[in-house]
Amino acid sequence: MTDILTVNGLVKSFDDFVAVNGVSFSIDEGETFGLLGPNGAGKTTSISMISGLLESDGGEVHVAGDRVATSSTKAKAHIGLVPQDLAIYPDLTASENLSFFGRLYGMTGDDLSKRVDQVLEVVGLSERRDDLSKEFSGGMKRRLNIGVGLLHKPRLLILDEPTVGVDPQSRNAILESVEQLSGEGMAVLYTTHYMEEAERLCDRVAIIDEGQIQAEGTRRELVSMVGEKDKVTIAGGGALSSSIPAIEGLAGVTGVSATEQQLDVLAEDASSILPQLLAAVTDAGGSISGVEVFEPNLEAVFLHLTGKALRD
Amino acid sequence: MKPFSIAWSNVRRMLRERSNIFFVFIFPIALILLIGVQFGGGVDPIVGTFSADDGDLSQEIHAAIEAGESFDVIVYETEEALVDAVELGSVQAGVFLPAGMDAATAEGTPVEIGYVARPDGFGAQMQAIVNSIVAEVMMPVGAAQYAAAETGQPFTTALAASQSIADSLQVSPVDVSYLGEALFPASLGQFDLGAASQLILFVFLTAMAGSAALILTRQLGISARMLSTPTSVGQIVVGESLGRFGVALVQGVYIMVLTLIIFSVNWGDPIGAIMLLIFFSAVGAGAGMLMGSVFSNDQQASGMGVMLSLGLAALGGCMLPIELFPPTMRTVAHVTPHAWALDGFAELVRRGGTVVDILPELGVLAAYAAALFALASWRLRVAITRP
Ligand SMILES: Nc1ncnc2c1ncn2[C@@H]1O[C@H](COP(=O)(O)OP(=O)(O)O)[C@@H](O)[C@H]1O
Ligand SMILES: [Mg+2]
Repeated sequence: MTDILTVNGLVKSFDDFVAVNGVSFSIDEGETFGLLGPNGAGKTTSISMISGLLESDGGEVHVAGDRVATSSTKAKAHIGLVPQDLAIYPDLTASENLSFFGRLYGMTGDDLSKRVDQVLEVVGLSERRDDLSKEFSGGMKRRLNIGVGLLHKPRLLILDEPTVGVDPQSRNAILESVEQLSGEGMAVLYTTHYMEEAERLCDRVAIIDEGQIQAEGTRRELVSMVGEKDKVTIAGGGALSSSIPAIEGLAGVTGVSATEQQLDVLAEDASSILPQLLAAVTDAGGSISGVEVFEPNLEAVFLHLTGKALRD
Repeated sequence: MKPFSIAWSNVRRMLRERSNIFFVFIFPIALILLIGVQFGGGVDPIVGTFSADDGDLSQEIHAAIEAGESFDVIVYETEEALVDAVELGSVQAGVFLPAGMDAATAEGTPVEIGYVARPDGFGAQMQAIVNSIVAEVMMPVGAAQYAAAETGQPFTTALAASQSIADSLQVSPVDVSYLGEALFPASLGQFDLGAASQLILFVFLTAMAGSAALILTRQLGISARMLSTPTSVGQIVVGESLGRFGVALVQGVYIMVLTLIIFSVNWGDPIGAIMLLIFFSAVGAGAGMLMGSVFSNDQQASGMGVMLSLGLAALGGCMLPIELFPPTMRTVAHVTPHAWALDGFAELVRRGGTVVDILPELGVLAAYAAALFALASWRLRVAITRP
């Protein structure tokens, strides 16, 4: 796989305050990559440098092999940026906003007007294309804001907390369109402080706090990296404890404990051994009345890494 | 191409705002109309008079002016006091009646009645009225002179006869020369100078008000978003500048064309007038860009912009004609681009100059524009890339 984005040792200070402190990661072609961290972690500052809005104090960014700087128009042609704060003209209509930015992306004429129609369709604003964007609901403005970033079919779409302050319905629509775009092969860099969004959308996640990346990998890699285990709780009766030796022999199981009515199992990857686990219990003569699987989430990983909760 | 897109979005947004339509298109014309046609109602303008002696003719003219209904009259004791009053604007015009008018008319020599006014529209209009009042008094005198010369009768006899039939007869009035004519030629339309002053004032004001739009564009994160597209800072700066320039130019052309059609304002040589407008719009756009780059609060910028625009307009002679400034102030006034633009229009309108005659003024305006744009693009570049 080739990298569409490589970020190498980005640093940015505001006066004495170091907002971004050596951030490095890379994103494959077509991959969805999450930057997960609380408010003030340095996500937006990193994004600003990655998309060439902010001069960095150190480090390098390349998009599709082109070096990004505030003055580099070549690299920027590969990127579609959806900034955290709405950046659309309130006194222009949806289609006027799209046409305007489309021209800045170098589109003209029929190409432009066709693409504007398509994007309006994608973000569900075709019906309201000729209304001023200031008359839109919060969710509609967000969708238009995203639409601007899609106009030129960028190879890398950067979304900075696109669901903040959005009603649940619009939020879901946004997540679905990101999934769809990613399915069509667009690489996505997605920042959020919502653990569920990172888990749902992202192939890989980097956890960022205080300007530094604390850990990076797939959800499973991150979870095991910090020693967090899946937990399976089996409720039932009979000879539950007699299945313990068999369960301990299963791959990835790190601990088992039992009471009269309940059996708790800690394992690396619970879902993959679940059938064997249940078989072991019934083989030993136990009866099962209920099964629950707890997979540790990124919230737990974050807590483990930083000693604080993701949402403050 | 991209700069034009940015410029066009600016013009489009400006035209969409209803209050802008009022201030950019309706208000200036209303003001030109108001200043040009002030006799329609409201407060009467004031004429100051000064008589050098107490002769019969002086008293008669004076009484006739006072009897007029178009304006109020204030009598001044000295010539200087009246000139000062006109300069300060406490009276809109001054009428100077010289000494020995009775004797002069008896001898048949022409009398010179002085007239000084502010060229803000009141002057020309009032001059016509003073003219007709004086003519009415002088008509029998002229007739008597004519009769005396033709018939050899003594002037006093002829005057008595002509006055007795004056009410029932239409006789063409004598020529009375006015001292004020050198300053404001009689051919000058009542709206001409007022219109040039208003044009300059409003074009600059509108361009300065454009600074708020630029600040809003920055605050909304749209400048940053433009920079995230394959658009260079240079293109953004040029686009925003063109936007401001376009708005100013659209307003200027509109004022020129409309006043030409409605009020028959004489703008002089058309090429010269358009060149002046283009260069002055560029100065305004540069100033608006600088304001919009330096300030980060649109309300602050609007407030400062209006204050600065009105201040510069006043200093530059858009409110009180520069000809009435003391010499030092006249020099100081030329710190403003307004004074140079007004000089240019004066050259075109009053002296029938062409574009060649206003090259110095155009040069100065070009220098202003270049300096302002250079400063503004430097500041805006910093503002956009280091938020
Ligand atoms: N222009 C700026 N000047 C000073 N401090 C800033 C500026 N931008 C961001 N910061 C600070 O840098 C830190 C990271 O901010 P940001 O990148 O916006 O975080 P996030 O997007 O993860 O919420 C915060 O503490 C913020 O206050
Ligand atoms: Mg942020």
